[in-house]
Amino acid sequence: MTDITTLSLAEIAAAIRTRKVSSVEVTRALLARIATWQPTLNCFVRLEAEAALAQAAAADAALARGDAAGALHGVPLAHKDMYYVAGLLAECGSKIRKGFVASATSTALVRLAAAGTLRLGALHMAEFAYGPTGHNAHLGPAHNAWDPTRITGGSSSGSGTAVAARLTYAALGSDTGGSIRLPAHFCGVTGLKPTYGRVSRANAMPLSFSLDTVGPLARSAEDCSLILAEIAGADPDDPTTAGAPNWDVRKTRRSASDLTVGIPSAFYTEGLDADVARAFDDTVATLRRFGVRTVPVELPDQAAVSAAARVVLAAEATSLHAPWMRTRPDDYGPQVRARLENGLAFTAVEYLEALRWRGPALAEHLAAIGDVDVVITPASTSAAPTIAETDVGAGPDAEATIVAITNFMRPVNYLGLPSLVVPAGWSDGGMPIGMQLIGRPFGDETLIALGAAFQAATDHHRKAPPDR
Amino acid sequence: MSDEVTPDRIAAMAAAARVPITPEACAGVARAMTPTVARLPPGTTTLALETEPSSFTVVQRRELAP
Repeated sequence: MTDITTLSLAEIAAAIRTRKVSSVEVTRALLARIATWQPTLNCFVRLEAEAALAQAAAADAALARGDAAGALHGVPLAHKDMYYVAGLLAECGSKIRKGFVASATSTALVRLAAAGTLRLGALHMAEFAYGPTGHNAHLGPAHNAWDPTRITGGSSSGSGTAVAARLTYAALGSDTGGSIRLPAHFCGVTGLKPTYGRVSRANAMPLSFSLDTVGPLARSAEDCSLILAEIAGADPDDPTTAGAPNWDVRKTRRSASDLTVGIPSAFYTEGLDADVARAFDDTVATLRRFGVRTVPVELPDQAAVSAAARVVLAAEATSLHAPWMRTRPDDYGPQVRARLENGLAFTAVEYLEALRWRGPALAEHLAAIGDVDVVITPASTSAAPTIAETDVGAGPDAEATIVAITNFMRPVNYLGLPSLVVPAGWSDGGMPIGMQLIGRPFGDETLIALGAAFQAATDHHRKAPPDR
Repeated sequence: MSDEVTPDRIAAMAAAARVPITPEACAGVARAMTPTVARLPPGTTTLALETEPSSFTVVQRRELAP
């Protein structure tokens, strides 16, 4: 019999719904797998086994009565430890929020619960989601399931490696400067950073209110679509979602041969390791084979866009954390404290200039890509480096290390664009390599269409790390 | 914006924000942020009077027009 932990979210939801397997059986199988992997990966910060089994038993009983809650009835999931649930801890990877009990539940989790999902526990994350590697001064690093000496990427570190190790079928992450896409790339899973304003951030921990987005890491583009189908759309508790369309699954079935993909001529082509460059070329060749039209695109100065993103992120994060920076500065890890202090570099005028430029910058981007549906880039210049070589703390190499890892991420956040990272190849050392598909505003479904077509033609996303 | 972020500037900004910071940290921020400031687009300082942060939303939502 197939190991049920290896099934996709779509497959396990169907198996539970048709009562081929019970929610309790699925939950027990995942808990057993978590027990095996957790000592190696350090990916769960809290496991809620008893509660999960009780929820699973209730889900099975409801199904027996003919009362399925929704499309994901009885499916156990785990999420980054920054999504609040009323009455439960949400410690945000920090010492400062140790023991913090939320008073309200995040809209994303309310919607996933309404779809029938259960909660396995909370996942490791960078302190306050402010770190791209998976290091955490308080929790220790999360470890990559493909090679535990290597980073997971961050800040959704636990989400990336737990999905890769088949400990959860999907997990919510958040993305302010690459925090969904980097773990997807380094851990070999699929991650969707939605259009800014497409998914409510209400009652999720903020880092930068102009850049924060909520989205899934999962085993395929189709699985990401299943999550977005539940969480996308307007929410009165998050005004940035006003007028946001609900998920349109028909658009995810658009033929890839109708799509035009832009290939940047600069910036995203620079400094690539040879194996990343090879994976990029192979991906483009695969897209062309199934009829995608590819065209070169000359994007506006991406380094400038990235710099503007850094000003906005630094100023907003520092503003949010200023009360604790005044009263509890020593309770931050050294790197996070140093990064928060970076926000002191900018005046209100400079911050607002960077924020006001966002509209003109997006207009320039859209003019540059013309009728291009998707721009494709590597997710990073290299596959996962080691934990040791990126353990730079607040030292003199810290900023350069962070910039090198996040360089291809930030323009997407500043421009508010949707972006899907899909596994697309392997490094010479056997680590996953992801490619980034960048869409037009609210073109999230088009990314799923292209990602699903690519995954129908390749098997990178089906590979799982060897059991340990 | 000037192309160089100095430790003195950071110390003054921190004092204004009432955030404690060491001289070493001021130097670290200056070192870390100077490359960012140097790469900022000239367009940020020549924006039209009418451009506000929500102009971004206007451009973004044009994609939703039928």
